[in-house]
Amino acid sequence: MIGRRARTLLAATVLACCCAAAWAHQFHVGITDVSFNARTGSTEIVHTYMTDDIDALLANLYQRQFDLTQPEHEAVLRKYIEKRFWMQSADSQRLPIRWVGLRVGAESVVIYQEIENTPLSKTAAIHDEVLTDFIAEQSNTVTLHGKDMITTLIFERKNPDQGVR
Amino acid sequence: MPTLRLTPCALAALLLQAPCRADDDVLQRVLVGGSRASVLGVADSANAGTVDQKQLAARTVYRPGELLEATPGLIVSQHSGEGKANQFYLRGFNLDHGTDLRTTLDDMPVNQRSHAHGQGWTDLNFLMPELATRLDYRKGPYSAQHGDFASAGSAAVTYANRLAQGVASASIGQNGYARAAIAASPEVNLGSGSGNLLSALEVLHNDGPFRHPDDYQKVNGVLRYSQGYANNGFSVTAMAYRATWNATDQVPQRAVDAGALTRFDTIDATDGGAARRYSLSGVWRRTGSDSSSKASAYLIRNQLDLYSNFTYFKDDPVNGDQFSQPDRRITSGFNASHTWHAHPAGLQSSVTIGAQLQNDNVFNGLHNTKARRRLSTTREDHVVETSVGLFVDNSTRWTQTFRTVAGLRADHYRFNVASSLAANSGTSNASLLSPSLSLIFGPWKRTDFYVNAGNGFHSNDARGTSSTIDPRSGQAAGKVPGLVRSRGMEFGVRTEIVPKLQTALSLYRLDFDSELTFVGDAGTTEAGGPSRRIGIEFSNYYKALKWLTVDVDVAFARARSRAFSPQGNHIPGAVEGVGQLALTLNQLGPWSGALRLRYFGPRPLIDNNSVRSKPGTTLNGRIAYQLGKTMKVELEGFNLANRRDSAIDYLYASRLAGEPEARDDIHFHPVESRSARLTLVKNW
Repeated sequence: MIGRRARTLLAATVLACCCAAAWAHQFHVGITDVSFNARTGSTEIVHTYMTDDIDALLANLYQRQFDLTQPEHEAVLRKYIEKRFWMQSADSQRLPIRWVGLRVGAESVVIYQEIENTPLSKTAAIHDEVLTDFIAEQSNTVTLHGKDMITTLIFERKNPDQGVR
Repeated sequence: MPTLRLTPCALAALLLQAPCRADDDVLQRVLVGGSRASVLGVADSANAGTVDQKQLAARTVYRPGELLEATPGLIVSQHSGEGKANQFYLRGFNLDHGTDLRTTLDDMPVNQRSHAHGQGWTDLNFLMPELATRLDYRKGPYSAQHGDFASAGSAAVTYANRLAQGVASASIGQNGYARAAIAASPEVNLGSGSGNLLSALEVLHNDGPFRHPDDYQKVNGVLRYSQGYANNGFSVTAMAYRATWNATDQVPQRAVDAGALTRFDTIDATDGGAARRYSLSGVWRRTGSDSSSKASAYLIRNQLDLYSNFTYFKDDPVNGDQFSQPDRRITSGFNASHTWHAHPAGLQSSVTIGAQLQNDNVFNGLHNTKARRRLSTTREDHVVETSVGLFVDNSTRWTQTFRTVAGLRADHYRFNVASSLAANSGTSNASLLSPSLSLIFGPWKRTDFYVNAGNGFHSNDARGTSSTIDPRSGQAAGKVPGLVRSRGMEFGVRTEIVPKLQTALSLYRLDFDSELTFVGDAGTTEAGGPSRRIGIEFSNYYKALKWLTVDVDVAFARARSRAFSPQGNHIPGAVEGVGQLALTLNQLGPWSGALRLRYFGPRPLIDNNSVRSKPGTTLNGRIAYQLGKTMKVELEGFNLANRRDSAIDYLYASRLAGEPEARDDIHFHPVESRSARLTLVKNW
């Protein structure tokens, strides 16, 4: 119950901020949901970024056009994401995040990753500089849906590393 | 796939349409979906466009300069040995080796001004297709940011800072063709941060179909270090290119008709040349939310030795008419621009100011030779040509359906010539102001309408600005102005009202005050009369299926001299029509391919239009098969119909050995006969 309320409050806040920012000319946000799937026993990670931002990122990284529905082009984005987003355990070991796939829409790019056979509690720290290295105003909200509580972390260019607890 | 547990409201917030970013006008609109990016609401004219890496890679090109044919209406051909600069045709112009077509590579000018052989000499043989990541083209003098040589059009090629994959390729083909190329861009850490080191090397040999083989040998390399992003970062690049070749220059029709020569015969087997190009350049860009800056600098060393014989034994029945035009130069330059973005009273507006400085220090000459051995000197010159261009332009979106782009450009040139003949030495200056204005209406129902007007110019050969005596005849010659003004006007429409179809239509007029040309072959400048070109261009891109795109482009132009002449007012060499039909197949399982039909229209060869060239049609194609994830084999075919067309035709007098006197005749260089190339490509 607490979790649901917090989630609704968070969503409303993000929505309000985005609307306000939109009127102020631009906003660049990413949302990452991290949760444990009891059925598979894996920690699942879902990133959502704006297609415009991903387009601009790849265009300025490689100065060319990509079609992310093609596997070899998806690999280009995968290489970028895997270098700029990772999770660590308490003993500072990087958790083995597996690339599952992505879904491309006109408005958003949704990226799916998972850490197989690993509970969410293993995550002690997160490094996230996806798009923040490219867009100064980029802000990524990472939400960890724990068993009893939700933890929300905001990553910007100035703070790419944050502890979970 | 894991269960998506993304907060619905947060997702909704994220999907709010993002407004444009500050540097929208310089960022490429890429898309994630597979078809060509729309430029509705972005382009300033119906004739401008961008060709991306995928489209460039899908083209079947016999020579690297043909990459520029991705520009609708542009024809690139070769009328001599393979290492010579290409011959260009666009918008009713025979652009010779690049006059009035401004070509740049990563902001470095490719056109060489006051060149020994031809003004605006554009040698694109150092272009490496594997590195070309985009081509931006525009036509007409409607941009304040483009100066010298840009009146007919401009083409800007961009090399990648980093490659998505390393690539190695090996090719073998008919007529002595062989090529090997390798390119990769590993990450390196230089202490100040991590960047990419792009390195590429190419070696090539080609004989062509000629009786006397071209024996074109090329070595070409690129080394680039880059950090950051294209819009927030820098790159430093070194390039080196060198080549040698034999040339089969144009042959007279009468000799071919009589059976004395075949179409691929060579008259003077010692024609040919050698070229070297070395450059060091850098580009820096910074982009913020409200402004962006760009600076670039370059240092280019070009060397050319060129031996030609177009009239055989007309002027010197004993030794022949071969002549050489050596050109050695160092070109240095600096470009800088800054853009402010503002939103006064709810409008979207940006102002860009910029400066372009260039200096050419040139030693060139014209000599009579026999078998590449110098017999006498017609002229030798040391040219120092310095120019400064300043521009300002404003782009404002006044309403949702009305935009303007207004610009003003000021150019100042200084020509300093020290000639072997004192009477042809001197210093002169020239300045021009070039305003331009574009009105863009739309989009309505995915349709934009454009009205463009502007002034442009080309510089004339510096030697023409100081020459008072024709060095060949010894007779008096008139000086010519350094800068020649052009005036353009255009109406255009671009629409995507039909799903999957991008269509553009342009109707234009382009006037030049004078068709000034320096006749490098003769060592004199000829000042023609004023000219007018009226033309229409129709360009279509249709993504018929996920795996099939169709390009259909046609262009017609009427070029006339505006000066009264009892002989007539046609402009020799001015192309009257061009067209292309191209089918490109992609993602058809492991198969991909392309088929392209190119139409090169007729040209008057004399001002009274009594002698005309025939049109030519060329069919090229390629088919590729993906072997696994990283290997591809590709078969390319050129001139598949084996047409016996001309790449160029001239009308002038020549005299073959044994002929009692010179005769007027058509002289032509043939399109290469049907040939095939097989390429194996490996990515990693």
